[in-house]
Amino acid sequence: MSNQNEHHEPSHKPPGRKEMSRRQFLTYTLGGATAYMAAGAVLPMVRFAVDPILHKKGEGEFIKVVEESKITDEPQEFSFELKQQDGWYASTATLTAWIRKDEQGKIYALSPICKHLGCTVGWNNDKSFPDEYHCPCHGARYTKEGKNLAVAPKPLDTYKLKIENGWIYLGGVEPNTEVK
Amino acid sequence: MFKNVYNWIDERLDVTPIWRDVADHEVPEHVNPAHHFSAFVYCFGGLTFFITVIQILSGMFLTMYYVPDIINAYASVEYLQTKVAFGQIVRGMHHWGASLVIVMMFLHTMRVFFTGSYKAPREMNWVVGMLIFFIMLGLGLTGYLLPWDNKAYFATKVTLEIANSVPWLGPIIKEFLQGGTIVGAETLTRFFALHVFFLPAVLLILLVGHFIMIRRQGISGPL
Amino acid sequence: MAHGNNSKEKVVYVGDSRVRKGNGFITPPDYTSYPGKSEAFIPNFLLKEWMVGVVVLVGFLVLTIAEPAPLWFPANPSASIIPMPDWYFLFLYQYLKLPYASGDYVVLGVIGVSGVAFGSLLLAPFLDTGKERRFYRRPIASSLMLLSLIACVYLTNSAWHHYKEEMAASGQIPENIQREEKAAENKAKGLPTTSANQQKEIAIVDKEDPAMESYKKAGCITCHAADMKGAAGPSLRGVGDKHNKEDILKIIKEGYEGKMPAMYDSAIAAGLTDKDIDHLAEWLSKQKAEQ
Repeated sequence: MSNQNEHHEPSHKPPGRKEMSRRQFLTYTLGGATAYMAAGAVLPMVRFAVDPILHKKGEGEFIKVVEESKITDEPQEFSFELKQQDGWYASTATLTAWIRKDEQGKIYALSPICKHLGCTVGWNNDKSFPDEYHCPCHGARYTKEGKNLAVAPKPLDTYKLKIENGWIYLGGVEPNTEVK
Repeated sequence: MFKNVYNWIDERLDVTPIWRDVADHEVPEHVNPAHHFSAFVYCFGGLTFFITVIQILSGMFLTMYYVPDIINAYASVEYLQTKVAFGQIVRGMHHWGASLVIVMMFLHTMRVFFTGSYKAPREMNWVVGMLIFFIMLGLGLTGYLLPWDNKAYFATKVTLEIANSVPWLGPIIKEFLQGGTIVGAETLTRFFALHVFFLPAVLLILLVGHFIMIRRQGISGPL
Repeated sequence: MAHGNNSKEKVVYVGDSRVRKGNGFITPPDYTSYPGKSEAFIPNFLLKEWMVGVVVLVGFLVLTIAEPAPLWFPANPSASIIPMPDWYFLFLYQYLKLPYASGDYVVLGVIGVSGVAFGSLLLAPFLDTGKERRFYRRPIASSLMLLSLIACVYLTNSAWHHYKEEMAASGQIPENIQREEKAAENKAKGLPTTSANQQKEIAIVDKEDPAMESYKKAGCITCHAADMKGAAGPSLRGVGDKHNKEDILKIIKEGYEGKMPAMYDSAIAAGLTDKDIDHLAEWLSKQKAEQ
């Protein structure tokens, strides 16, 4: 069907060596127009799609959990509620923390999420290993400070913690800082 | 560099004839607005296609946020429109583009009708074009419900009542579209599936047919 | 880009097909027979087409920025809304309201007239089979099309007017405008701007109140759970919206609709005083969804 190709533009003179031919010029302009249209249509959509990446991650708020005076040497379990806004979906996650005071009286809070495969550990729940955190899934064990003794590759995470007016506030999870 | 890649592919697949068929051909004088200004009426087909491409792209991007579920649909639409950067523009493109496609397609159809371009040997292309028109209307209809707002809900109820009034098949059509006994969760997912998978698939097939026929038969001659 | 000089090039097909040759193809006119006036599709003609494309795109983007896509309030089956299809269905919507297209004649309206109209549109090339292409030389086809166009414009227009009148008569403002105003108002007040129905998680009011201890001690937690979200019994979060203090005291003392036993005596047995229970009831009555 392409015998139309035989047509030859009569006004078309062979261009000089360095000059741009009319055809080349038109081709570049066409390329420019194409790029402009593609960009005009697609850029807003791309920005729309990557919006979650460009969102500022919030510092994370601290949540009031328990009175400072209730904390002892023995780890105690406390649960607290974290309000989450997940796009259009607002929900409340119930989180747990094991809080204790160390020998110097410093208070810290461990996250009970096992660093092996993410099960939930409990304090002193295995009779053969007293005074340790124990994970029921694969038998990972941790010390009071959250130091990994078996199975798990890393110590338990700690919560960011601050104390105000005798109350303990917990924030986001961070890598354990108690284990030396 | 580009030349080498092209040659490498061409040696193996002989792509030159294919792309030449698609892109490299002569355009006659009577459709060229540079020669006759009135020939601008010939641009509506191309514009319809351009807007259709925008519709497909913006629709794909919208599904990154949209959920077809009666509890979350509205919230997700509102979220993507008001909270996501450029959400207003992307949803605006899809919303206004839907109207613009209909306008362009209408103008294109009128051009083809009044220039008599649907006559032999181009009958089939007219029929395919009309089918594209109906599919576009179907896309408009099913897309209308998706934000799950009051406007969508009540308009869809009316539409389904109209479908219901078709003799014999009416109740079946209505129940098929509705998916249940009320306009609700099942209706929304159905309309979503039609809007996002079934109708666009048919549309793309018809468009390919439309274009192949145009290239095969060439543009209709001067009047 | 073969354009002219290279006239010896031919499209070569694979020649091992056994398919028989047909009657031949109606070869479309060859536009090279109009010397000097036709031009290459790429880049010459496409550039012109895309100049138009660029103008359309810019106009389109300006529209999307200037005019946000309307969004009404969330679908609510019991809302009183004048239903309105999208504008390109208005003619059909209005047409089906006509006396000869509705009621007893609905079959005629739906299948008869619109069926014939859309059917003949679909099959136009087989109905209008003459060789003549100019519209003024084929009066029947052209006038039928013009008539239907006028009818569509008229129907669309009257549908729109009817809608406007109804809106004015019922004093309604289009919901998308209401929604935007509400959002703007809430934004000014610093409230959430959403109109979506949110299932709110109700927080416990005054969590540190001693009543929380009494709540646990009195055995409420066995049914209503330690976080008050409810287990065997219902959630007590936001219970203050439903019952006041006297009601709650009465429920504690006498039980609730046969579902909850009287808990007063067992609470006393658990070591609470009457005052504690009174305070507990007061605290529960303060559990409201949102201030």
